[in-house]
Amino acid sequence: MLERVLNQVRDMSRRAVVSPVTFSLLFAFALAAAIVAVTGGDPLAAGGEMFTGAVTGSGLRNTLGRSVPIIGMALAVSIAFRSGIINLGGEGQMVIGGLAGTIVAIYVPGPGYVIVPLAMLAGAVVGAVWGLLPAYGQTWLRLPILITSLLLNYVARAITGYLVRFQLLDDAVTLTSTRQVPETARMPKMPIFGGVSLSLILVIVLVALLWMVYTRSVAGYESQMTGFNMRSARYGGIDVEQRTVQVMVVAGAIGGLIGTHLIIGEALRFIDGELVLAGFAWTGLLVSLLAVNRPIPIFITGMFFSALQIGGLAMQRNAGVSWRLSQVLQAVVIVAVACRLAIRRGERPSTEVSDAESAAVGEV
Amino acid sequence: MFEQIFDAALFDSATRAMIPILLAALGGMICERAGVFQIALEGIMLAGAFAAVAGSYLAISWTLGVVFGIAAGMLISLALAYGCVTRRGDPIVLGIALNLLAMGLTGFLLPQLFDVRGVFQHPRIDGLDRIAIPILSDIPWIGPVLFDNTILTYVALLLVPALWVFLFRTPVGLRLRGVGERPLAAETLGVSPTVYKYGAVLASGALAGLAGAQLSLGNVVQFAENMSSGRGWVAVVAVMLGRAHPVGVLAAAALFALAEALGFRFQGNGLPVQITDALPFVVTLLALIIARKRFARLLDLTTAA
Repeated sequence: MLERVLNQVRDMSRRAVVSPVTFSLLFAFALAAAIVAVTGGDPLAAGGEMFTGAVTGSGLRNTLGRSVPIIGMALAVSIAFRSGIINLGGEGQMVIGGLAGTIVAIYVPGPGYVIVPLAMLAGAVVGAVWGLLPAYGQTWLRLPILITSLLLNYVARAITGYLVRFQLLDDAVTLTSTRQVPETARMPKMPIFGGVSLSLILVIVLVALLWMVYTRSVAGYESQMTGFNMRSARYGGIDVEQRTVQVMVVAGAIGGLIGTHLIIGEALRFIDGELVLAGFAWTGLLVSLLAVNRPIPIFITGMFFSALQIGGLAMQRNAGVSWRLSQVLQAVVIVAVACRLAIRRGERPSTEVSDAESAAVGEV
Repeated sequence: MFEQIFDAALFDSATRAMIPILLAALGGMICERAGVFQIALEGIMLAGAFAAVAGSYLAISWTLGVVFGIAAGMLISLALAYGCVTRRGDPIVLGIALNLLAMGLTGFLLPQLFDVRGVFQHPRIDGLDRIAIPILSDIPWIGPVLFDNTILTYVALLLVPALWVFLFRTPVGLRLRGVGERPLAAETLGVSPTVYKYGAVLASGALAGLAGAQLSLGNVVQFAENMSSGRGWVAVVAVMLGRAHPVGVLAAAALFALAEALGFRFQGNGLPVQITDALPFVVTLLALIIARKRFARLLDLTTAA
């Protein structure tokens, strides 16, 4: 019995050591260290600050807090990727849903236990509608979602910018911003680690829910089949068009939820352009790619990327190295994984873990 | 009203808006012809813009700036070529990741190297001068619009016929198209797809790098974070709309540039900047809808069929 467990552990650790993901992480860290050294920093000090900053003091709380949008946006994009739909519109869905949720939180009176869920619902609905546009673009007009969803990000930015500047502006501050979300309409914080947003529970529930859908339900199976091969899925009786629309609705809704959370749970004001700056949708996309669109690995990877960013901010404060290094690190990991793990298009992913990984990373 | 909007100044600003999109789109076109889906243009353009400013600042010379811009573009495209040609990785995943890499790297290097945030301006940065071509620039109306511009403007405009000749009238161009359309046949005839694809991707990197240089040394003389602001994606659409044909690509780039210039103009007439900024993207989306029958191949490519 013990021997079997030991064997399993050994087997897993061996696989982890030779795993291309491990290699890619090492490669990315080495490259980042080299970049810091070349630009006149001290890579060891920077790395130390990054680590301690992510897990000590308020770092742990901040890591957990930042993981909410990262994991959330990763889940949103993973739903689409699993079905072979390349939704690059997470940002727009998040921003426009976020503004809708903010408007409800600011202008609808009522007790918090009504307004907070109502704001989240509004964010989800508007995010879903924004996701519907490229979905119908593909099913009705045969326009690739990859392109339309991306272009719509800029349109969403413009619309929210216009609304904030000309309809919802708070004259009391110099920012181009809405009023502050009233205290009653804010997302509550849980009394752990010095205050973590309740939205973390929402994200955990989403992870569990998606895991169940993927492993236990027909819808999950069908969406994965569509991702593997759209033509054969259609041949097998799956309504691919309908599936595309459903997937984009769910992805957009999650984006809208996260956008709303970022305002009523974190920023408390919708400042024009601010929601885009941290690049959560894009970080989430990288997380989903690295985790091969599986919910539980997304949770773990999302935590890790969140820690990288929080650690990066600490590094910027204490070691004078810009936190954007974290973004470089994350992108390099994906480039390395995509380079090392390529499988030719059209080849069937086998059931073995490492192969399944490579297949999914290799072809979204 | 009509004459007030469509004057020479509008076309002048449209030309300026067009050149970065055109250069990047011509690069994307070469890749498309070689059968490589190139969506890293946005990131390459951004990296090129940064490197051009950095080079110009270091040497106080726009020449070195342009060289730096090209080099940075080729470096990123080398990663793309290695990933999707040698390692047979997914060009979409690689393209997205490289775009984010360029965004992160320029955002990182800006405070690290120049100790500024957001925007980098400096008297040492040597911008591209407008060079008036004798005689031609004296033509009323057209002269100042087309023949009183930066050197990269002329390069971009000359590349349109040059690439047409290259693609459709030279053996190398024929082989490049062969690699894209019938890779197996090309290989059977002894044409190495690897070599041609590498060449195409590197060329697109150089061109998108030039696009960045025009952006940061020609249109303005500064680097601002994320200053490519979607132009690389518009270039991707221009390749699609122009059916990867030099003249088509030029027309598409001109259309988007006109939308951008009109946006500026309406801004001057009191329309909010938030709305005018969206104009090129709205026009791009509308153009996609109008010309939608053309994208069957891309749709197949991007839906894992």
